[in-house]
Amino acid sequence: MATLLRAALRPLRPPPGHRGPAADVLLRGVRHGAGQLYPEHIPTSPLQKVLLAAGSAGMALYDPYRHDMVAVLGETTGLRALKVLRDQMKRDPEGAQILQERPRILLSTLDLDKLRSLPEGSLGQEYLRFLDVNRVSPDTRAPTRFVDDEELAYVIQRYREVHDMLHTLLGMPTNMLGEIVVKWFEAVQTGLPMCILGALFGPIRLHTQGLRVLVSELIPWAVQNGRRAPCVFNLYYERRWEQPLRALREELGITDPPMLVRALA
Amino acid sequence: MQHDVRSGCCHPTAKMAAPRSCALWSYCGRRWSRLMRCCELPGLRSSWPGGPLGARQLSQEKQATETHFGFETVSEEEKGGKVYHVFESVAKKYDVMNDMMSLGIHRIWKDLLLWKMRPFPGTQLLDVAGGTGLAWVLGDAEELPFDDDKFDVYTIAFGIRNVTHIDQALQEAHRVLKPGGRFLCLEFSQVNNPLISRLYDLYSFQVIPVLGEVIAGDWKSYQYLVESIRQFPPQEEFKEMIEDAGFEKVTYESLTSGIVAIHSGFKL
Repeated sequence: MATLLRAALRPLRPPPGHRGPAADVLLRGVRHGAGQLYPEHIPTSPLQKVLLAAGSAGMALYDPYRHDMVAVLGETTGLRALKVLRDQMKRDPEGAQILQERPRILLSTLDLDKLRSLPEGSLGQEYLRFLDVNRVSPDTRAPTRFVDDEELAYVIQRYREVHDMLHTLLGMPTNMLGEIVVKWFEAVQTGLPMCILGALFGPIRLHTQGLRVLVSELIPWAVQNGRRAPCVFNLYYERRWEQPLRALREELGITDPPMLVRALA
Repeated sequence: MQHDVRSGCCHPTAKMAAPRSCALWSYCGRRWSRLMRCCELPGLRSSWPGGPLGARQLSQEKQATETHFGFETVSEEEKGGKVYHVFESVAKKYDVMNDMMSLGIHRIWKDLLLWKMRPFPGTQLLDVAGGTGLAWVLGDAEELPFDDDKFDVYTIAFGIRNVTHIDQALQEAHRVLKPGGRFLCLEFSQVNNPLISRLYDLYSFQVIPVLGEVIAGDWKSYQYLVESIRQFPPQEEFKEMIEDAGFEKVTYESLTSGIVAIHSGFKL
């Protein structure tokens, strides 16, 4: 019992050669900097992860504008799914390159002028248009903090940054309805508990009309496409800006959405 | 830390008048400033001879020695700024978080402090690190913008722990109090019971940062909070520090198994 408790409270197994925390420090968490695997990393014990997962799930439902809570939920519950996703990426040549080079989709890394100059209907153009119409920016994504593996921390960061690409690919706006559709697609593609929970519980906050359309048309479409498409995280989007969106959709087997989901004001 | 006037922290029979001459000062420069509140109770008309605040000469820059910021080691120069950012970050959800973390018990602690104080109409009270209030002055606890021998009571609740040079804050407290004046400090302290201590540690380190993250979106500030509590001297040691600053008849009372303590001293 005591060993179980100790295991629940220990933040993470220190690498071999390191002395583990002393018993009285056990309850107090790690020393500053100890066990930190990447700049924003906050090592957490299994107990803390459970509390964070429960708390963030509750808070995200209570206040859907707390996007940071959705992120925390993803990080604290996604370890297994992230491993599977990472292994999938490793097996694919384009995915493996992404893991190697670790590209980031940020305003600082995007050449906006170049993207704007691209032909109409290209991925780059459509992505920019999506950002404009929905008034979002790629830089609002919080950095990963609670994933205790440096490579997986990148994988979830990549997942977040690709999320906007998926909106563009699926033609879904960033309102509640659009987000839920993308979550269903992502849930099928990644198996991340956060996506599954978001897909299942997100609709609670929808009005009945949206709910009807969601259940009868949009979810089946999202699930079908999610199943049919190869792993969308294996695409090096940064090298495909010129590719016409239509062609990319065909490549992935993504059909047009059954209806136009408008970006509400 | 905050004595919120709105929540009725003052003794119920002491009325809070709007003081007529507490000017607002803001400190620019590298020394960071703490909010202080001075309550002027009715019965006292001219509290500040020759203008609201005595002229004070700012001291030179501090030496670049090291100190603690929670469990981290930082330079003394840095600490003030870091603490400032913590409180800037937590200010918005401060009251909610206090209630959540202590399950409302912090209100009882503050009530006990006031009960001990027994302020009456005419008491000149300075509450340092009090946040907002009826009338407040921006200043530095280590260098108060007040003349000597001004106040009957000096209080500081959940604030002194965050001061870079606690001894200086205590000396300043001694300076601005009138002879016969009383120093009262409500602060987190050391738990005296080993079992409760372990439970308290568990709760502090496992739960509180999570609460901070979920409610306020701020893990790090609450991690700092629980760490800074461990860095603060225990009851006896703090008592000695108060005595070193010149206070006499220094006593303390532990509350809630020592989670907090109220220290009291007199300038005689």
